Amino acid sequence: MATIEFNQIQKSYGGVQAIRDFNLTVDDGDFCVFVGPSGCGKSTALKMLAGLEPTSGGEIAIGGRDVTDLGPGKRDIAMVFQNYALYPHMSVRSNIGFGLKMHGLPKAEIDRKVAEVADILELSDYLDRKPRALSGGQRQRVALGRAIVREPSAFLMDEPLSNLDAKLRVQTRAEIVKLQKRLGVTTIYVTHDQVEALTMATKIVVMRKGVIQQIGSPETLFDTPANLFVAGFIGSPGMNFFRGPVEKEGDVAFTRFAGARIKLAVPAGQLPFDNAIFGIRPEHIRIGGEGAEIGLTLVESLGTEKILHFQTPEGQEFNDADTAADHDDERDASSMLARVIDDVRYADGQAIRVHLPEDKIHVFNPDTHTALRAASGQVNT
Amino acid sequence: MIDFSSPRHRSKFGYLLLAPAVLLMALIIIYPILLSVDISMKDVRIARIGKAEPWTLKNYAWLFGSEEFWNAIWVTAKMVLMVGGTALVIGLATAILVNQRFKGRSLARLFVALPWAVPEVVATVIWAWMLDSSFGVINWALLKSGIISEGIQFASNATASFYSVCFVMIWKGYPLVSIMLLAGLQSIPQEQYQAAEVDGAGVWQRFFYITIPNLMPVIGVTMVITTLWVFRDFAIIHVLTQGGPIGATTTLSILTFEQSFSFFRMGQGAAVGVVTMIICAVISRALVSRFANSVH
Repeated sequence: MATIEFNQIQKSYGGVQAIRDFNLTVDDGDFCVFVGPSGCGKSTALKMLAGLEPTSGGEIAIGGRDVTDLGPGKRDIAMVFQNYALYPHMSVRSNIGFGLKMHGLPKAEIDRKVAEVADILELSDYLDRKPRALSGGQRQRVALGRAIVREPSAFLMDEPLSNLDAKLRVQTRAEIVKLQKRLGVTTIYVTHDQVEALTMATKIVVMRKGVIQQIGSPETLFDTPANLFVAGFIGSPGMNFFRGPVEKEGDVAFTRFAGARIKLAVPAGQLPFDNAIFGIRPEHIRIGGEGAEIGLTLVESLGTEKILHFQTPEGQEFNDADTAADHDDERDASSMLARVIDDVRYADGQAIRVHLPEDKIHVFNPDTHTALRAASGQVNT
Repeated sequence: MIDFSSPRHRSKFGYLLLAPAVLLMALIIIYPILLSVDISMKDVRIARIGKAEPWTLKNYAWLFGSEEFWNAIWVTAKMVLMVGGTALVIGLATAILVNQRFKGRSLARLFVALPWAVPEVVATVIWAWMLDSSFGVINWALLKSGIISEGIQFASNATASFYSVCFVMIWKGYPLVSIMLLAGLQSIPQEQYQAAEVDGAGVWQRFFYITIPNLMPVIGVTMVITTLWVFRDFAIIHVLTQGGPIGATTTLSILTFEQSFSFFRMGQGAAVGVVTMIICAVISRALVSRFANSVH
C-alpha cells in the first residue's frame, strides 16, 4: 500500500512528444483510472510507472521511494495485462505462484498463498489446468490472482476487461472494485471506456494527446468538466453542444436557443465574447413549458427511458474535433439528444418544447474551449 | 453426373483432388521403400528388377553380426548428438542475437543464414581444401598462432577426421536451426516477458521460464529435422573422408553406399538402409510427440 507520484514526467519517441508535463499524486488506497481516446498516452504512462518503458524526464515515486531508475521487479508493483499475458506452458498454480517463486519464497509458503488467492477468486478447482483450458473470464481471474498474490504496494491494470464480452465485463468490473476495496491496495487502471472510469474510479485522470485534461472524482468530472473535451468525453450519451450569441443586460448574460432567450448562470463580466459554445447533458433537458420549439427526428424507447433526437437549431451547430468523442457516436454534430423518463408517448416528427435549465448549462470559451463558471464556483450543483 | 457440391458427395471431390498427389507419392516414395525392403531380403549382389530370387534373412543375419554395422551405429549416434547439440546451442544463440534490435540487423541475419544457402558439395569442397593436412589454411593458422606445434592429420587421424566432419556439418546445419528458432522467438508475445519482468524475473529466469518453454515445440521439430539430416547426409562425409580412416566417420548412410556401390552387395546395403529408416521413424515419432506435448 502506497502513494504514487508522477512529477513532471515526459516521454518522447524521437522527436514526437507522447507525454508532456504529467503531474499526478495518487493517495494510498485510491482507485485511479486513466481514461482517454486511443493514442492519448494513458498506456504509456502506466508502462512508465511499471518500469517497462523508460521516462524521458521527471521522477516517479511509489510509497515515497523514487523508482524512476529501478527495474519493474524492484518497484513492488503487480500488473494485469490486456491480453492477460498468462504463461501458456504453466498450470494456473504456477502462473499465480510465479512472482513469489521469482522472489525466492519457500515452496510451502507459495502453495499456501496460491491456495488462499485461488479461494478468493474461486479458482481452486482449476489450479492444475493450463490457461488454454480456461474461459476468458477465468483467465482474467488468473491474471488478477497473479497480481494479488504478491501483495504489492500497487496494482497496475491495462484495460483488463477489454477482451471480455459485455455481460462478463460488467460483472468483472464490480468484482475488481470489491476486491480493491477489500485489499485496500492503490490501483492505477487504464481504460478507454468512460463508463468503466465513472463506475470504478475514486479518481479519474482524463488524458488527451499526452496531456492531462482534468483530474478529479467521477462527480467532479461529470458536473464541472474543465473543458470541452472532458465535457464531451465523460457521460453517455455525451453532452450536447451548440453555439449561441451572448447578450448582456447589466451584470446578467443571456443566450438564445432556437429563438428562446435563456438566462446564464455565468455573469456577463466573465463573458467578453459576442458568442460562445454551450453544452447541456441529455438528461438535463426538460420537456414542455415555455421552452424553444423543436421537431423530433427520432425517438428511441428503452421502456420508461426515452432518447429523443432533434436537430440542432440552424446556425447553432457546433462541430469540432474536441468533442468528437469516439466512444459513443450515436449522432452527428447537427443533432442533439434529450433523455427523458416519463409516461408521454413521443412520435417521430412531433413538435415539442424543450427547456434548458440555466444552472445545467455549461459555458465554454469559444477560443480556448475551457469551461467558464460563475465566480462562486457553485454553478452546476 | 455427380453433383460434388452436395453434402453427400463433397468428400469424394476432396479425394479426387488428392488422388494425383497420393499416386505420385506412392510412385516415388512408397514403391522404392518396398523395393528396398524386397532387395534387403534377397541374397543379391547386383539387384535386377523382375528377377525372382528366393526371400532370405541372410542379409540381416550378416548385419547384426557384423562389427561394421555396430560401428556405423555408434559413429552415427555420436555424430547426431555432437552435431545436433552444438547446432542447437549455436543456432539458439545466433537466433537470440539477431532477434535483438541493433544497427545492421538484416546484414547479421544474412550472415547467419549464409552457410545454409551455399550448396552442400561446394561448401564441403571448400572445407576439404581448408582442412587439408599439408597446405590447408586451418593448419597454417593454427601453426602460425602457436596453438599447435605440428600439423593436424585431418585425413588420417580418426579423432581429427571425426571432428572435422562434425565441424563442417555444424557449420552447414546451424543456420536452419537459427532461422527456425528466430521465427519461434518472434511468435512469443512481448507481454509474457513484461509480465515476467514485473513478477521480478531476471534475464536468465526469463530465458529459462519464458523463452525455452515457448520455443519447445520449435526446438522439437528442429531437432527432428537436424537428426534426420545427420542420419542421411552423405555428401559432406563422402567428400571429406569417404568414411575413413578405418571407419571413424562411416555413418549408416556411408555404410549403405559402401555395401551397395563399392562392394556391390546390394542386398546387404538395402538391409542397412531399411534399418536406418526404422531407426529414423522411431526417433522422429518420439521427438515430435514429446516436444509437441510439452506446450500444446
